[in-house]
Amino acid sequence: MRILVIEDDQLVGDAVRRALALAGYAADHVSTAESAKAALHAESFDLAIVDIGLPGQDGLSLVRDLRRRGHRLPLLMLTARDGLSERVSALDLGADDYLTKPFQVAELLARCRALVRRANGIASTRLAFGAFTLDLARKEASNDGVPLDLTRREWSILECLVLNAGHVVSKERLLSAIASWSEELTPNAIEVYVSRLRVKLGDSAVIRVIRGLGYRLDDCGG
Amino acid sequence: MTAAAERTPSVRRQLLALLLVPAIVVLLAGTVSDYATSISPVRDAYDQALADAALAIATNLRMDSNGSVALELPAAAIALLRSDAVDSIYFRVSGPDGAIIAGDADLPQARSVADNPARDDALYHGQPIRLVSYRSTTPSGAVITTVAETMHKRAHIRARLLTTVLGVDLLELVAILGLAWLGVDLALRPLLALRDQISRRSASELEPLALSSVPAEVRTLVGALNRLFRTISDNSRMQRQFLENAAHQLRTPLAGVQAQLELMIAEETMPVRRDRLTRTLGATQRLAHTTRQLLALARSEHAATDNEGFLVADLATLVEATVPAHVSRAVSAGLDLGAELQPARICCVQWLLAEVVNNLVDNAITHTPAGGSVTVRCGANGQTAFLEVEDTGPGIPRDEWARVTSRFFRGRHARGYGSGLGLAIVADVARLHDAHLSIGAGAGERGTRVRLEFRRIADVATAQAPGTRLRNAVAKPAR
Repeated sequence: MRILVIEDDQLVGDAVRRALALAGYAADHVSTAESAKAALHAESFDLAIVDIGLPGQDGLSLVRDLRRRGHRLPLLMLTARDGLSERVSALDLGADDYLTKPFQVAELLARCRALVRRANGIASTRLAFGAFTLDLARKEASNDGVPLDLTRREWSILECLVLNAGHVVSKERLLSAIASWSEELTPNAIEVYVSRLRVKLGDSAVIRVIRGLGYRLDDCGG
Repeated sequence: MTAAAERTPSVRRQLLALLLVPAIVVLLAGTVSDYATSISPVRDAYDQALADAALAIATNLRMDSNGSVALELPAAAIALLRSDAVDSIYFRVSGPDGAIIAGDADLPQARSVADNPARDDALYHGQPIRLVSYRSTTPSGAVITTVAETMHKRAHIRARLLTTVLGVDLLELVAILGLAWLGVDLALRPLLALRDQISRRSASELEPLALSSVPAEVRTLVGALNRLFRTISDNSRMQRQFLENAAHQLRTPLAGVQAQLELMIAEETMPVRRDRLTRTLGATQRLAHTTRQLLALARSEHAATDNEGFLVADLATLVEATVPAHVSRAVSAGLDLGAELQPARICCVQWLLAEVVNNLVDNAITHTPAGGSVTVRCGANGQTAFLEVEDTGPGIPRDEWARVTSRFFRGRHARGYGSGLGLAIVADVARLHDAHLSIGAGAGERGTRVRLEFRRIADVATAQAPGTRLRNAVAKPAR
């Protein structure tokens, strides 16, 4: 797993690179958009962490360039500004996630893991989450190698939660994930499916109920 | 209207006052001269009739052989002479010795005899009369024939003349004033349009005013206003840039220090040094927190002229996007963080409202002991939309309710790395949105509940696409 860190501040760049290395990733650090393009052209990376406030060409325009050239790698933006408009334009331009400085290293690592997991799922149709493995093509899940007996709706809910692990997923979103099989479901039905799913998953995963907001599958740091 | 407003000079009032007084004087003078010029021919005509009658009587005077003068006029002719529908006619003929020859003996004669016939006014039997005396010379001396009439006809025609002249002149006065009013109105119209154009603007609209429709007289004023607008907008843009740069310059090194400290703690094996590093990290986090809040506070002061400005947004969507970031902290603090959300559209600066939710939820999580709950609610009832955060913590002591929104205030039970700015930001944002902020106890007089009540966006406005700029909707109510 290889990650490119594009950050002009040496202290931040160095800390991020070290933290990623400590977490078991191969990380490279560059300070400008130009050297980032050169690095991405020469070698392949699984994720790039892009600071928006780069000298010369800034992070937003780098993201635009990369997406135009067909780069599909996940992009996590870092910024020292907290205007909503900047966040929106970053995501519109093709960034995958966004983190405001100063950040906690644990939060940065969790975001990276989630982005890499999603990207891998799309590329290989297999998602790994802790002890779980999800085969997106065959719609099968296994826990520590033991196949789980899930209905199609339970599987869809699990897939949606794993793809968004660490994030709160609303009932409406889960509903739309399983809506292709029925149009008559109410948000209350989701509660039933989630509680069945929790029983089937046992102690190996935590689906938290966030009152009034939805559910969150907690990333155990694996 | 206040006394100050009554004293305010009004162009319309001044112009009308300046016009009214001279117009009245001129018209009064006109009335007098019109009356005088039209009354004298009438008087002359009536006088001529009297003179004719006097002459007619005088031609009938005969002198007998002994030289005494007598009037030879039949009674029928005298009756004819005296007949008049309106006035009473009197006559008198007196001889050279003053003796009465015919007619009314006590009728006065003209006092002056310079003219012939001579006219005069007099009182007769208590009534004003007009008389004409005609002097005819006879061999035995002057015989004076006087014919007089009461003034009813004359008074009548004088009154009619006066009303006609006055009426016409009054009409002229009204017409002049009306035209002046209209003229002032027309002349002031561009000024009023300018006033409307300025008062319709929200505080963030600082584009220069168009000079094309402005009358030459106020062009300088509008030019000065435009220069002022430009200065304000330049200042606010510079301030915004300064704050953005300050945010960047402060946060980036903080992020570096914080991340490096976290790494050092993870790598450090000596407990003493780990402990020192951990405390240093704590201080850095406090510094980061205060920096963020100070920047938010500074930016909220400029939000009225901020580019991001006021947009229509749903509080529920905003809370859904903001609260999940706090779930991890709530979970590790052993708290049940939840939301009860109903759609509530308001016109707001979104990042500021997100800052409010962040601060309130952050405070609630910090102050609520494990096992408690924190609930964010929003919704609408009637004309208001509300946003509130309630916790089951120890609550804010009642005597501190009023003071908690002042900057850098920290209560007796303050915990965590609070800067004392969180609720000050909430109060600032509430003020900016004309929202009512209330701080009190939660359900069952337990915990803390902070509530903001906003003016709700009417359903008509809700039909507009999200992000529609509602300039008029945000215009502050007149103060």
